[in-house]
Amino acid sequence: MVAVVRAAAGDVTVREYTSQRRAYLTLVLISLFCLIPFFWVVLAAFDPRASQFLQVPQDITFEHFRKVFADESGMRWVLNSVVIVGSATLLTLLFAGFGGYALSRTQAWWKRPLLYAIILVRIVPPPALIVPVYKVMLFLNEWINGVINQLTDNVEMQQQLSRMFSFIDGYLGLILIHCAMQLPLAIWIMKTFFDAIPKDYEEAAALDGASQWQTVRHVLLPLALPGFAAAGLFAFINAWGDFLMPLMFTSSPELQTLPLGMFRAFLRVDAIDYGFLTALAVIYTLPAVIAFAFARKFLTQTFSGGVKG
Amino acid sequence: MINMTYEARRQLGYRIMMAPALLLMAAFIVFPAFYAFSLSLTDDALLGFAAQESSFVGLRNFSRLFGDPLFWNSLKVTLIFVIGSAVIGQFVLGFLSALALQRQVRYKSIFNAIICLPNAVPEMVVGFLWISMFASGEYGTLNRLVAWFGVDPQQWLYTFPLLSIIIVNTWRGIAFAMILLTSGLASIPKDIYEAARVDGATDNQIFWRITVPMMMPTIFLYMFISTVTTFAIFGLVYTLSRGGPANSTEILGIYIYNQSFTAFQLGYGAAVAVVSLVVSMILGVIYVRALKVEV
Repeated sequence: MVAVVRAAAGDVTVREYTSQRRAYLTLVLISLFCLIPFFWVVLAAFDPRASQFLQVPQDITFEHFRKVFADESGMRWVLNSVVIVGSATLLTLLFAGFGGYALSRTQAWWKRPLLYAIILVRIVPPPALIVPVYKVMLFLNEWINGVINQLTDNVEMQQQLSRMFSFIDGYLGLILIHCAMQLPLAIWIMKTFFDAIPKDYEEAAALDGASQWQTVRHVLLPLALPGFAAAGLFAFINAWGDFLMPLMFTSSPELQTLPLGMFRAFLRVDAIDYGFLTALAVIYTLPAVIAFAFARKFLTQTFSGGVKG
Repeated sequence: MINMTYEARRQLGYRIMMAPALLLMAAFIVFPAFYAFSLSLTDDALLGFAAQESSFVGLRNFSRLFGDPLFWNSLKVTLIFVIGSAVIGQFVLGFLSALALQRQVRYKSIFNAIICLPNAVPEMVVGFLWISMFASGEYGTLNRLVAWFGVDPQQWLYTFPLLSIIIVNTWRGIAFAMILLTSGLASIPKDIYEAARVDGATDNQIFWRITVPMMMPTIFLYMFISTVTTFAIFGLVYTLSRGGPANSTEILGIYIYNQSFTAFQLGYGAAVAVVSLVVSMILGVIYVRALKVEV
């Protein structure tokens, strides 16, 4: 009897051992697959003789990074991306905060249909929208430029306002379209987080004489902070990495953001500056990676809405 | 306002709070989606006569569409792309990583972080990284790797274009599959495994008779999400190949873009968009019904 138990125990450890080894092997191979494409970009960004090929740099230089920030267009792409994606994220948080709260608290007839509708809106493939969205943007663009021309006769002023508020080739259009695309996921996340905050807290505050606005500020906002963090991170990562919207709605060089600027610089087949581009790619990727590191722990919580971060 | 009850005021408040988000989604997603249907019935174009005066052409765009070999090619390419990368590539590698991370291995968080890394990279950078990976000539990274196995240098993006974009998208999406499937694995009660072991089940039996059946809801959720998101991909493939060479990587999103903004046929592009909208809405409704998503 004792022998049988011993044999069985030995069997288990052998089995554990081989399965352990298999686990390490799997993880190492998959990790290598994930890592290899990064080697080139990281090495070339510091390599004075950067090329399209993976090579170990003989020297290390920060010249490429200096160039990105000294070079007018590189700096402009970074700033445009920060301004556009940053504003879109803040706007998304504001609207998704309100929307998610209303959806969580209301018991009205529209609650359920709206939640299902938001799942469906979330899975509309953006490429299918390009033609009609372009038309909508065109329409809004004519309208806003008409308003601008009414406001002032100063041509320079008109141009500046147009740059800011145009829907095509202007900041406002890109901000709003990014915001609209990120809203379904953000609303869903916020709704889930508000669901977890007991209604009693608000009722208690109301009984103590707090107005709805005071309740929101002093009770709800602090409790919903993790929700805002999750929604904001996903909105930022998705909008930051998006390529389609900038491709559709920017044409002038002054408005180019990182994805389009990089893409066009890369298409100049005759003189691709790989050092500049790899340094730019590193700068472009870092914020997304950092945001993703923070966002990872929220990933599983946000799946139920049929949504991917 | 003063005459309203507290409850009525609150209900009004909820509607007002919903309004900005609804307005934006309506203007930029819902309305355009319906607008695509009406555009698809016209001969609208970016240039030429039809750009000024587009007219109603009934279902002509659709009859042209269904007779267009390029459309069927695009549908086929999309299907292979979705199955190859989302259903097989990401799922298998993600499941393997999730299973391996279940074991008692060291450096779990490091492996985890490495596998998640590709998921955070912007679409343009993904294209940029892999163009270097796929670079032709003997110094291309992938060519140097396969040289160890005695394979001659290849022009990956020209010889195996579809396989190339499948590899890239698999690479990008392992993390998502891994994270979702890990949470599914974690929800299987441990005592079931112990009971099976006591009864003398082998690893294989445990995997196929316990793990897989218990994981079915999670696998279903994963399949749905990854299918609809892969179906909607544009930037990743556009930056790599722009649909070429010779339409071999022209997934639906890129076909729509090329027809609309390269060939300038907005009505026809909208007809393709309608097909893609209908497909994803069908998937969405199936999902919502099957899972009875808790709301």
